[in-house]
Amino acid sequence: MTTITEIHTTQVYQVFIKASPEAIWEAIITPEFTQKYFHGASIAVTPDRYLSLGPNGEVWGDAEVAEFDPPRRLVHGWRSLYNPELATEDESRVTWEIEPQEGGVSLLTVVHDELDGAPKTAASVAGVGWMSVLSGLKTLLETGEPLA
Amino acid sequence: MNDDLVFRALADPSRRLLLDRLFERDGRTLTELEAQLDMTRFGVMKHLRILEQAGLVVSRKAGRNRLHYLNPVPIRLIHDRWIDKYTEHRVSALAELKTQLEETA
Repeated sequence: MTTITEIHTTQVYQVFIKASPEAIWEAIITPEFTQKYFHGASIAVTPDRYLSLGPNGEVWGDAEVAEFDPPRRLVHGWRSLYNPELATEDESRVTWEIEPQEGGVSLLTVVHDELDGAPKTAASVAGVGWMSVLSGLKTLLETGEPLA
Repeated sequence: MNDDLVFRALADPSRRLLLDRLFERDGRTLTELEAQLDMTRFGVMKHLRILEQAGLVVSRKAGRNRLHYLNPVPIRLIHDRWIDKYTEHRVSALAELKTQLEETA
């Protein structure tokens, strides 16, 4: 039996994007792209580090990369350093999965889990957080324009 | 994602109730959902399938269980595509009215 805590602390988001897995992968790991859809954050992901910077170079996120398998799967740690109240919480985990579908469409799944020690982060990202990121990413890749 | 599937999935009160239950607590098994609702197991399965086809529910295996998660992204996309568009239209209509009134004043 899966524990209740585990059930509570996993969030799953999914979106179909009319773009290749390679294009989606680039948009996830390249700061020039992330600025346009990820709450203004410049995020650079390398095989061993996930670094998210705010508009003035302040550190919004800094964590290890557990899996780096372009253009299919990325797993990295998550710490909400952008908010002093959330920054003290435990590290959680974000998994990106990209699966090609028919007709030039890809299915992007984001799983944010291991949120046991980060209830405020869990509440914060579950609101408009991931939704606006994924909606913005889809718009950017399909139209070339950031969401107004 | 097909908007028609989302609107059709949302057009049923039982399915909206299922989404509300998942909103309260995410990541539930079929058995847990069935216990919460005045519906047969077959009924819950049927509604979950329609919600999954619309992308509103995502199910993932966790050990021996299959857990169901609410995926709010399709609703957000409808919001961004439709609601924002109409709001914008209303704002621009008001802006135009203002311009016209001020020109004639």
